[in-house]
Formats: sequence, C-alpha cells, structure tokens
Amino acid sequence: MNIIILNGNPDAGNKSFDRYIASILKELTGRGHQARAFTLREMNIRYCIGCWTCWIKTPGECVHRDDMPAVYKAVMATDLLIFASPLVMGFMSGLLKRANERLIPLIHPYSEISQGECHHRRRYARYPGLGLILQKGADTDEDDVRITTDIYRREAVNFRSSLRATFLADRPVNEVCNEIDAL
Amino acid sequence: MRLMLYNGSPRGKGSNTTILLKHFIDGFTATQGNTVEYVYLNNVKGHAAAAAKWREADAVIIAFPLYADSMPAVVKDFIETLGAGRKKPKKTAKGGRVAPEKNPPLGFIVQSGFPEAIHSRYVEKYLEKLAGRLGSRYIGTIIRGGVEGIQVMPPYLNRRLFMAFSCLGRHFGVTKEFHPITMRKLAGRDRMTAFKQGMFRLLIATGLADSYWNSQMKKNGAYERRFDQPYQP
Repeated sequence: MNIIILNGNPDAGNKSFDRYIASILKELTGRGHQARAFTLREMNIRYCIGCWTCWIKTPGECVHRDDMPAVYKAVMATDLLIFASPLVMGFMSGLLKRANERLIPLIHPYSEISQGECHHRRRYARYPGLGLILQKGADTDEDDVRITTDIYRREAVNFRSSLRATFLADRPVNEVCNEIDAL
Repeated sequence: MRLMLYNGSPRGKGSNTTILLKHFIDGFTATQGNTVEYVYLNNVKGHAAAAAKWREADAVIIAFPLYADSMPAVVKDFIETLGAGRKKPKKTAKGGRVAPEKNPPLGFIVQSGFPEAIHSRYVEKYLEKLAGRLGSRYIGTIIRGGVEGIQVMPPYLNRRLFMAFSCLGRHFGVTKEFHPITMRKLAGRDRMTAFKQGMFRLLIATGLADSYWNSQMKKNGAYERRFDQPYQP
C-alpha cells in the first residue's frame, strides 16, 4: 500500500512525536509498504486565503507558489493519507490545519447531495482513505480525541473519502502497523 | 461594555464574516457606552498583540468561516497563542483540572457556505470546550449557513439576515448573551428536509445549482477547464 503521512508537529523540541512517526515509517516500509512523510514545519506552506482561484480561475491549481504541489501530487497518488499531529489546545496543530485546508483545489466547487447533506463534488475519480495519528498533550482528555476525530470524520466526507482509523501516538508501533495492514 | 471582536476570516476586510459582523456591531453599539475593539486574525504577525488584549475586555467574540470542517488555520494559530499565554492548570484534590484564571466570557460566530447547520455543529463542540479551557464562560456559538454568495445577492434577500445579526448584537450589548430564539432561527435546521433535498436535487439536475460557479468561471475564462485534474497520477 502507498501511505503518506503529513507530520504537523509544529515544535522541533517535541522529539518524541517525530521519533514515533519515524518508527511508523520504518515499520511500514519493512512490511513492504511505500510510506513517506512530509514534515510540514520544514516546508513553505502558505495559508489558504479563500480566494477560490483554484475553483474559478485555474481549476485544480492553487494561487500560491509554495511547497504544496509536491503534497498534492503525493496525496493523489496514495492509498492512505494520514494527518499526524500533537493535540494542541485540544485539536490538530494550526500547522497541520494549514496544510489540510490547502487541499481544497483537489475537490470541485459544484455541490451534490451526499448522505442527505450538501457536499462538494469530486474533481478526481479516486481519493485516498484518511487516517489520524494524534499525540495527547498535558491537558488532553478523551473528549478532545473524540471531538477531533468527529471533525475529521466530517472532513473525510468532504474530501470524498472516509476516515479509516484514528491512532494515538502512545500505542505500540507494531499494533498500529497491524491495523494499517488490515485496512 | 467593552467587546473584543476577533475576525478570523482569511479573506479579512472583504469577507462575508466582516459583513455579518458589521451588522452585529451596529446593534451592539446602539447601547450607549458600548465599545468595540476589532482585530483581523489574518494578520498572523499581529497575533501576540491581539492575544495580549483579550483579558481587558468585558466579553470576547471570535468569528470565522468554516474551513475544511473546522476553524481556519489562522484562527487555530491564534487559539494556540491564547493558550501559550495561560498559566499552568492546577490539579484539584480529586485529580481533576481547573482553569487557573478567570477570563472574559467567550462567544463564537461560525458562518459557512453550506446550506445546513450540521456542518458547523462539530466545531461547535470544540469551541464550547475551548471556552472552558481558557477559563471563560461559554456564551454560545452563532451558526449560519448559506453565507457564501451574499455579496452577489440582491439586497432585499439579505435584509432579514442582516437584521437578525443586528438584533443579536443589540441583545448582546445589553445582556452579554446571544438571544436563543434568534440564534436558533439563524442556524435553521441541522439537515435539509426531504422536500428541500428534492428541490436541491432538481437544482443540481438542471444545472441551476452550479450557475453561480459557472458564471464566475466564465468570467475568468476558466469554464472549459473546470474539470481539469492537474494532479491525476
């Protein structure tokens, strides 16, 4: 399987999270998967400014010239896209969110009814499944994990995909990779 | 009452959030002595200065458009700045945590382009918890869908929407609360009724639902390329 991890750890001092992601990658590769991570804090990623150039001027292409095109290319070619982030103030880091909302050029402005709700139509025939890797912080509780997971279950629908799994970064790497294998 | 108002729209001054807030402020300042301090959060460099001000207010409102099912990244970054300024939470005797400080009451306005409120209900859960995390009383979250497009709509179609925001502001300016019935009316139903879904399907089948986008794409000479897939592997 092809797996892309977006590592949204904003803090280079949080070494445990980066180490965890590195171990996951190593284990997945050892199991024969094509796995790769983007360390977002080391990349030039601009904020979505809601200009909709990607929908109404250059369909499918963002107005910003930064490091995101490499992410677009990787995301559209992968089977599983994992958003990975320490929980900061009870949610994904702003850094992860910044890359996340820049994925909007990958879908289409037109609406459709899906699961009884209004959603945007797909631009591409196939999208990767979504997964989450979350690291609890000092002030994190189960509610935070649930709230974040619920939001990303919604986000997966809007990404014309589904949330396949949520992993906490305190779980053994082996166990997590077993579950990824089973997806 | 001193209101600290944070506009979390990445579009900033020209945004739909700005338009809705204008009407809220009109209502709020109808009460003598009420003042508003207004900050745009899309200026990320200003976050530290903006965060330094929030404790001085009598009430705080953060308003933003729904971005990928939650708050825009500029708003999340600002929340992290607010969080970094907190004192460490103390543990209580029972092992629970209490917010170490008492901060002004905190409310939110979430607007989205989707017609139904359901899309914003999930971030609402987060916002309610966030208020507690910051040591603030949670005022509530005003939710409004179908906001994209208000800038191209004829004024009479927006009149009731703007009046509702003005009413909310006026009520808030006196009570420091969001008027519950106006709030419920603004949010509308969480999901479309079967009838409305049918109508919407009809609009989609006839292409009318896409006409707003089509006219924008045609204006930019992009209509023929609307199904482009530049990242198709």
